[in-house]
Amino acid sequence: MTLQTESRPTAQIHQLNPQSSKTETLLTFRLAEQLFGVAVERVTEIIDPQRTARVPNANPLAPTLINVRGSVVPVLDLRNRLGMKPAEQSPTSRMLVIDITLNGEPCKLAVMADAVEDVIEAVVDDLETVPELGIRWPAGCFRGVSKRQDQLVILLDADTVFALPVH
Amino acid sequence: MGSPESTFIQEAKDHLQILEEVLLELENTPDNSEHVDAAFRALHTLKGSGSMFGFGELAGFTHHFEDAFDQLREGRAKVSPELIAVSLDSRDHLASLLDLGPDTEAPDALRAVGDVLLARLAKLKGTPIKGTAEGAHEVPAPVSEVADQNVPSRWFISFSPEPAALKNGFRPDLLWDELAQLGDLQLTCFDDRIPALEDLETGECYLRWEMELNANVPRDRIEDVFIFCMDAEITIKTLDEEAAVEDLNPAQGVDDPTKTPDKAATTPATATKSESVRVDARRLDDLMDQLGELVIAQARLKSISDTLDDPRLETTVEEIDTLVTGLRDTTLSIRMLPVSMVFSKFRRVIRDLSVELDKPAQLITEGGETEVDKNIIDCLTEPLVHMIRNSVDHGVEDAATRKAAGKPDMATIHLSASQSGGEVLISIKDDGGGLNADAIRVRAIERGMISEDQEVSTEALYQLIFEPGFSTAQNLSSVSGRGVGMDAVRRVVDDLRGSIDVKSTPGQGTEVILRLPLTLAIIDGLLVDVDGDKFVLPLSSVEECVDLPESENQREDGRTILRIRDQLVPYLSLDNLFGYTPSAVERRRVAIVKADGQRVGLVVDDVLGQLQTVIKPLSPFHRSVEELAGATILGDGSIALVLDVNALVRRASSTLIAA
Repeated sequence: MTLQTESRPTAQIHQLNPQSSKTETLLTFRLAEQLFGVAVERVTEIIDPQRTARVPNANPLAPTLINVRGSVVPVLDLRNRLGMKPAEQSPTSRMLVIDITLNGEPCKLAVMADAVEDVIEAVVDDLETVPELGIRWPAGCFRGVSKRQDQLVILLDADTVFALPVH
Repeated sequence: MGSPESTFIQEAKDHLQILEEVLLELENTPDNSEHVDAAFRALHTLKGSGSMFGFGELAGFTHHFEDAFDQLREGRAKVSPELIAVSLDSRDHLASLLDLGPDTEAPDALRAVGDVLLARLAKLKGTPIKGTAEGAHEVPAPVSEVADQNVPSRWFISFSPEPAALKNGFRPDLLWDELAQLGDLQLTCFDDRIPALEDLETGECYLRWEMELNANVPRDRIEDVFIFCMDAEITIKTLDEEAAVEDLNPAQGVDDPTKTPDKAATTPATATKSESVRVDARRLDDLMDQLGELVIAQARLKSISDTLDDPRLETTVEEIDTLVTGLRDTTLSIRMLPVSMVFSKFRRVIRDLSVELDKPAQLITEGGETEVDKNIIDCLTEPLVHMIRNSVDHGVEDAATRKAAGKPDMATIHLSASQSGGEVLISIKDDGGGLNADAIRVRAIERGMISEDQEVSTEALYQLIFEPGFSTAQNLSSVSGRGVGMDAVRRVVDDLRGSIDVKSTPGQGTEVILRLPLTLAIIDGLLVDVDGDKFVLPLSSVEECVDLPESENQREDGRTILRIRDQLVPYLSLDNLFGYTPSAVERRRVAIVKADGQRVGLVVDDVLGQLQTVIKPLSPFHRSVEELAGATILGDGSIALVLDVNALVRRASSTLIAA
């Protein structure tokens, strides 16, 4: 177990009490072959891809809108946000509708995932830093990597990754 | 309704509002004793109920304030300009004290303000008028000796509070104290209303009282004491003459009777209850939101029914359609408030301004009964204050200029409201010097807003005064001086999806007209198609639709001007403006809209028709896109964006100038 004690005082506590590890329920999804996790209580629903409406002159990170049962919800381009190349929609593509608080204002948004995988319990108090998998990640999007069997799950920090610079 | 405190605060605000209106009336008609009485009653109620709800500071201050009006009532003093001035300031002080909330000590600064006001009040009181020419034969006697023949000296009062009185913060002891101040009070308490033990509700008030009051006071003084016991059964009769009338005049209350009938005081419990209900504004908003959902669901239902082609379903859908329309109209009408609610504030603004700037000015209001959505009313005050300030400060000339121009010393500001189609027009008109178009032009060129050889219509020039920071030029005195204000006005009007027209005649004055939608929640729109996406143009800004001549499609010289009848109208292509791929549609259409007073054509692929729809605000991710006013969900579940035509055209022209 690699510890990053300087920046993570919880890890020291963990050393003292090796039996108790803090876990969180995560929803995992795939984007460009990479597995990501987001705290499950943030996700209000998973829906099939919807017909989107373009928003002219909008921030390229939030280019479209969808209708989620009567609410107008912005769709965030997570691939763009994470510096990935755009991709075509696939049969497994799903949209996650996520609740966040932006500048103190609760709001809903949707992101497209290539596939939704699973709901898992992940240990979150010994996260490792995200490896640079040939991609330079934008800063502040992740809480870290959780190891699960031999898979790496990158934990998204919902409060920062979805909070766009509102210009 | 909320807690008793919030009820009190709401009512206290009403009283302060009435007080202000009455004071301003008094300034014009100092001899009107009805107004003096009304002011006194408002103050007296504030004092009594204020202390009851823990607003001690407020009650304490009001006590002294009230004294001044008591003297007026008894003819021991008379209305003077200084009194009105102090009273208006005191009223404002009361408003600040009220904002403190219950059981709060006033901060020192506020208390100092109060002390100064009290000193001013005391000074006024210390110089009661005596022996004035017209008053020589009616030298006022000390109050105790004023024994009006018509005022009875012995009163019998029977008082049965409603059962819930104690829960509502009713304090009988305070009432007795107040009565005892009027004269000798004998109090008998009856317990005959107490039910059998098993029916007893703890916390209910079962006691009733009868009392005899020996005091030379008129009936309304006693009624005033019971002013907050509106649901109690009260009988007040004089013991001097057994034949004394027993009816209580129900119209005698603290409030303007036209506004809140029956709310006041001593109406017997059997009398009809107030016809109006106070409702929390948030509940109204909730109702409106849900209604919006219903309208959208109804549109969806209709489009499904159209595809199914079942006559029974169609009949039902039509029926529901009628019901939803009725429900919508009723709900909207609940939210409609008369503009006079805002207008009445401005008499004070004008009064203070004309004193401050030493420019006598009067305000004439018209059409105050025009109704507008509550949310619009709430947003209106600030821009109107700016505009009225502007009119008096910069529109109205100084005394010498007015005299030279043969105008009356007293400037007149007309504030009027009227309804025209789906819009409300609010006009602020002054009889001042008018806008100086040449000066505006020079200034606009200086600031690079227009080029030197650019031909700009006078109307468009006038619109420039709403640009941020535009009006800082000193020699532009007829426009404005502060550089803030007018752009704030436009921002608010834009947010309300309204527009501003400016008319001005040099030497005769300026008229600014705000055109506002009747309601914010529902919009009449024109549905258009741009590159397969649907957009809604507010119908109020669309003037007509024409075909785009095919010759324009091939045009490559960059000129984008249409000739419509005898007018040249510049046009913008929305696909271009939105960065979409240039349209390949052959017969495109042009919606001619009015943006900031200018006719502009917007080229779209197709005009799909009119619709009435519910506007949903955009999320923070898209709110910064100024040309979008919101989004709406169409009957087929797809989303259409609602365009802000003014912002759209402004953005286009700013990129053109930059290019």
